[in-house]
Amino acid sequence: MDRQQEYVLRAMEERDIHFIRLWFTDVLGILKSVAIAPAELEGAFAEGIGFDGSAIEGFTRVYEADMVAVPDPTTFQLLPWQGERHGTARMFCDIVTPDGAPSPADPRFVLKRALKKASDMGFTFYTHPEIEFYLFKSGTGRSTNPLVPLDSGGYFDHTARGLTNDFRRTAIEMLESMGISVEFSHHEAGPGQNEIDLRYADALSMADNIMTFRTVVKEAALAEGIFASFMPKPMGEHPGSGMHTHFSLFEGDRNAFFDAGAEYELSKTARSFMAGVLHYAREFCLITNQFVNSYKRLWGGAEAPNYVCWGHNNRSALLRVPMYKPGKPQTARVEFRGMDSAANPYLAFAVILAAGLKGIEQDMELPPEAEDDVWALTDAERRAMGIDPLPASLAEASAVMGQSELAAETLGEHVFDFVLRNKRQEWSEYRAQVTAYELERFLPIL
Amino acid sequence: MTVSLPPDPQTGGRFVSQEAAYARAGFADGARAGRVAQELAAEGFDLDPAAFAQVADPDGALLALARIAARPEAQEHLVAIIRDQRAQARLLAVLGGSIALGDHLVRHPEHLAVFLEPDVLPDAAPAPEDAGAPPVDEWPGEDMQVVPTAAQWAARAALLQAVGADPAAEVPVAATPDLEPLRVEYRRQLLALAAQDLASPTPTELFPQVGAALADMATGVLEAALAIARRQTPGHERARLAVIAMGKCGGRELNYISDVDVIYVAEPAGPDVPEQEALAVATELASALQRACIAPAKEPAIWQVDPNLRPEGKNGPLVRTLASHKAYYEKWAQTWEFQALLKARPAAGDAALGRAYYEMTRPWVWAAVGSENFVEDAQAMRRRVEEHVPPAEAERQIKLGRGGLRDVEFTVQLLQLVHGRSDPSIRAATTLKALATLAAGGYVGRAPAARLAACYRLLRTLEHRVQLHRLKRTHLMPTAPGELRQLARAARVAPPEAEQLEAQWKATRREVRGLHEELFYRPLLPETARLSAGEAQLAPEAARARLTALGYRNPEGALQHIAALTRGSTRQAAIQRQLLPVMLGWFAKGADPDAGLLSFRQLSESLGATPWFLRLLRDSAGAARALSHALSASGLVAQGLARSPESVAWFDADADLVPREAPELNQELSAILDRSAGDTKAGALAVRALRRRELTRVAAAMALHRLDDGAARFAVSEITTVALEGALRVAWEQVLAEGAEPLTSLAVVAMGSFGGHEMAVGSDADVLFVHRGGDGEHEAAAQAQAVAVAAATMQLLSNIGPEPPLEIDADLRPEGRNGPIVRSLAAYQEYYERWALGWERQALLRARPVAGDQALAARFMALAEPVRYRPEGLSAKELVELRRLKTRVERERLPRGVEPFRHVKLGPGGLLDVQWVAQLYQLRHAGQYRSLRVTGTIEALEACVEEGLMAADDAALLIEAWLQGMSIRNGNALWTGKANSPNNNLVPSERRALAGLAALMGYPAGTASQLPEDRHRTARRARAVFDRLFFD
Repeated sequence: MDRQQEYVLRAMEERDIHFIRLWFTDVLGILKSVAIAPAELEGAFAEGIGFDGSAIEGFTRVYEADMVAVPDPTTFQLLPWQGERHGTARMFCDIVTPDGAPSPADPRFVLKRALKKASDMGFTFYTHPEIEFYLFKSGTGRSTNPLVPLDSGGYFDHTARGLTNDFRRTAIEMLESMGISVEFSHHEAGPGQNEIDLRYADALSMADNIMTFRTVVKEAALAEGIFASFMPKPMGEHPGSGMHTHFSLFEGDRNAFFDAGAEYELSKTARSFMAGVLHYAREFCLITNQFVNSYKRLWGGAEAPNYVCWGHNNRSALLRVPMYKPGKPQTARVEFRGMDSAANPYLAFAVILAAGLKGIEQDMELPPEAEDDVWALTDAERRAMGIDPLPASLAEASAVMGQSELAAETLGEHVFDFVLRNKRQEWSEYRAQVTAYELERFLPIL
Repeated sequence: MTVSLPPDPQTGGRFVSQEAAYARAGFADGARAGRVAQELAAEGFDLDPAAFAQVADPDGALLALARIAARPEAQEHLVAIIRDQRAQARLLAVLGGSIALGDHLVRHPEHLAVFLEPDVLPDAAPAPEDAGAPPVDEWPGEDMQVVPTAAQWAARAALLQAVGADPAAEVPVAATPDLEPLRVEYRRQLLALAAQDLASPTPTELFPQVGAALADMATGVLEAALAIARRQTPGHERARLAVIAMGKCGGRELNYISDVDVIYVAEPAGPDVPEQEALAVATELASALQRACIAPAKEPAIWQVDPNLRPEGKNGPLVRTLASHKAYYEKWAQTWEFQALLKARPAAGDAALGRAYYEMTRPWVWAAVGSENFVEDAQAMRRRVEEHVPPAEAERQIKLGRGGLRDVEFTVQLLQLVHGRSDPSIRAATTLKALATLAAGGYVGRAPAARLAACYRLLRTLEHRVQLHRLKRTHLMPTAPGELRQLARAARVAPPEAEQLEAQWKATRREVRGLHEELFYRPLLPETARLSAGEAQLAPEAARARLTALGYRNPEGALQHIAALTRGSTRQAAIQRQLLPVMLGWFAKGADPDAGLLSFRQLSESLGATPWFLRLLRDSAGAARALSHALSASGLVAQGLARSPESVAWFDADADLVPREAPELNQELSAILDRSAGDTKAGALAVRALRRRELTRVAAAMALHRLDDGAARFAVSEITTVALEGALRVAWEQVLAEGAEPLTSLAVVAMGSFGGHEMAVGSDADVLFVHRGGDGEHEAAAQAQAVAVAAATMQLLSNIGPEPPLEIDADLRPEGRNGPIVRSLAAYQEYYERWALGWERQALLRARPVAGDQALAARFMALAEPVRYRPEGLSAKELVELRRLKTRVERERLPRGVEPFRHVKLGPGGLLDVQWVAQLYQLRHAGQYRSLRVTGTIEALEACVEEGLMAADDAALLIEAWLQGMSIRNGNALWTGKANSPNNNLVPSERRALAGLAALMGYPAGTASQLPEDRHRTARRARAVFDRLFFD
């Protein structure tokens, strides 16, 4: 038993914790939880907790279903909404096979493997997401029971009714109490839409944090009698929920993206990284935008970036270079705006990192900056400028990723195979729908 | 005074006798020596030539003395020294052993006073005879590694005072930023140490104390350099910085000149200091410390401070907090990094922080052995270091070359890490002390430990002497005879000659290499198997720990095998005691050490009494190594050898591990069958025994990576042909035994993988039987006879019995299982002309005559020609039929419950996908392109590329997947020994089977989990090509 594990066992006693939740994430990014009693914990550290993986999306197929969850003691945290007395704590788990090898289906392992590659090249990968989501008073979104947003505020509005502010305060307090630093929070453009930015951290911790964040936000909303959703595009007429994320690579304590005096203070490394991300953006789109609904956000207007290009102060660009803050070389970074709030953060960070590293390895050339509003250009103009669109639908994204060696290599063959099969299935189910749109438009006239 | 050139030597006879005296004292140029000595004598320094008799380089010493004597400040000291015999000997030893220290004395004649001072080290105690190192209780315990000794304090105090810092202060700060005073004082201490070392008649015995003193001086230098750094760094008090010594400095066994390895750890000085600020200050301090040691100044640099053992190496931040170190070691550190921590010791700076770091890291060092592949990782690291040595240096490297110092340290550290987890008494960071404690604890034999210690002392002494010469960081033995002679004198080799030194150096290297096995494996032998009294026998717990660390999964079982093999007073047991320690290491390198050892025991038990077996293994290191490797790599080889133990002899001769040609085998077989004529049972057994023996040969060659897969597939197919031919002959004998007349003749045509020369070890053989047919009224009788012969052939080969069976599969005949097992040529002709189905045409693509009536076979091939190679290719209807058949095979034959990609034959991108693409192209185009008329899959695909029918990239992906699939299939058979199991088609999911397969396929140890991933990738790509080529 190492010291970290001893610390957890001691903390369990000292803080009178009665339950411990072991968390892990399935391939689609849905949080899974197993609760165990404190007495089981020592065994869980030593041997893990066995479970049948066949019921978990993407984990295994029936014939090799046995999986073992091994808690990572460095992720030990009290769950603030479970009360102070007889509290509940959580730890994230690594998933291994019964003989102890990392499970190729574990998204956390996929990210760890990508980070290992970065580390072999001398890099640490930092991320900083801006997570958008909606708060609703009620509704299911069906025509009989429409969604009722919590408020009708807009971008940066201070909503007078205050419930939104209360909610944000509760949520942020919970997050901070779990060691997740919040940098910024504000009302977003849609009614009931909010954004909370997390302070940058290494990619693995951040992916854990995002999983925690989603749970905390949902719990905090329930506590206020409302509900929260990270669905990419819950209402057709209002903006979707994106997860713009800032990325940077560090070599030791030095920001490898920074180069004083270069254009936008961006180093050669940063430019190659960006080139790689742009080069592969279409191929990994299925991971950063993984649901049928994701493509409603990308192609539903309201400033969602859907063309593969980069810019400095260009809101229409997929990859944006934020304004450099003089004297702060550590903050040099690039912002990827394509991802939505429903992505599996482990897999999404892994593919973006892998694409960027390929750019660095192959010394890719960054295409010219897009200075125009790319949405205002005609298709022909965009073609002339070599600006490709992101896939238009889940079907197209699946087809493009199916040809991607980068995605296969980064996700591992198992996850790659599963995601493709799962997404083809999702598309064929979706295609079988008869939508309200069709009924309204065609039933009367046909 | 200047030394002017002496007068012409021809002028006086007096010089002649003096010249001889100098020559006798070891001078190379007696004449010049005489002249210089005369000059010196004129100055009042009269030296007896005999005083140089023990000096490494008398000529150099004398010249250096003349240069020093030219300094007016030297006069007084020199007079005193020359009057004092001890001081004089010390001075001459230094001048003859180190040009650099001579230069220093020219610059600082005041340091001549050193030679009149008492020795800095206590007299070297003679080494105890049985351990080669001082007794254990003379060494401080593990905890004492962090408590400075009096000598350490003294060195530190003098160095701090030199820079004007207060040695008693908690945070000493230098009074001056100048670098010179530190360097001058360091050289003075070095001079005092070298004086005693070089003048010592027994330097190998003094060595441990010299190494410790050098390490103490180094920590003093680090402290003083830090004091200078503080002086140069404003706000230095905001950070606490500890310098941790690593490597030889950490182990208190430093060289005269080498990089001093360190790691820095820092914390804010108080709660009000932000961590970032403290780290920035500490980084500045550390950089300034390093500069103080190495930056150019009037006095030469001290040595390089090397901080690259830190987390993330060169790329990592120079300074980390305790928490940051902890996070790194818990998450990212590799085996060797924990091994390196074994030597860590707080050296300078904040003592409490250093101690905290030391205590934090201890448990990790001793837990490292628990990590997977620990020994393998460590050995791989050692090999990498070895491979890094430039080839030109490899034979001269005292430190890194084979049999060099690093080998000694590696052996000792490995043993410490394996056993230190449960026994704190062997955790010392100093190599010699660790070795002594290992011997005292019974982990290694006392006698071999003493021999290893002696080797280490000699190598280190040589290294010290080489470095002292110019105070340069070098670990190379000189090559020039003159320099070798100097070194021999400096190291007090007896007799002090170049040849003697060279011989001793070579013998030492050889001995170090052998001692690794001696120390590591011999103590695993039981008490009763001791060769001499000085040997260790491990306690059961320790033996288990060692075997487990080596990768034995069942250490108890292994110990029993070892005991059984070495028990008793027979000659066999005596030889086993010699052999086994080495072989245990070789088994451990294989994928299944336990199975290797068990098989070896079985072999030994069945062959023990034969005189040649153990003699062969004892006298041929190559044979023993190859046998160990093959036994632990392949169950099939172990089984095969158990059936014919005499085959062990193959491992001694490379030529015996080459598959034998078919004609040679045929000849051997027919000689045997001639002898057994009439006894069909004995004949059949002989055929099968021959086949088993030859398959074992192929398997052994493959397990040793001496035969590539393609050659192996060909060889297996050839062996099958020979066996069939033999069985056919015996079958005829059986059928004609009752005096029947032969009414027809028979030929065997190979089909399937047999036809394609693509058989795996143990594959079924697909065949067609054809007979000539009788005349008129004999037609039916001839058919009956042919059926009897064919059935007998199949039965003789596949009967249950002591030899492994060869399944003969004739299901590809017309009408499949419903058709007669053999047809006449005419019947084939009629059938194929009227009824041939798509799958039959496809099957005929692989037809190749192999046995029986050759003329008949040729006629069969001629009639098959138009059936398989039709000029019109495939009709649209036939094409659809073929494609549908493939999809049906896929749906129906893939076993349930198997992940499709794991199945290398029927799964996506599997062998079948590739074969069917090749056959589709052949069916369509072979009528037109003669080059496509081949039976092999790869040849067919390559021909398609040649003819421009298929893109080279597509064919390459298909071929890659096919080769990989075949090699997985073959590897499974080799590993499990179950030559004909359907599971051989699966990428194993069980970890050990996967490791065994991966090792056979040439994956480095520890990378087996890559194999399923690689297979999946290759198969996915091949499947995409198949989808395109087969259906479009």
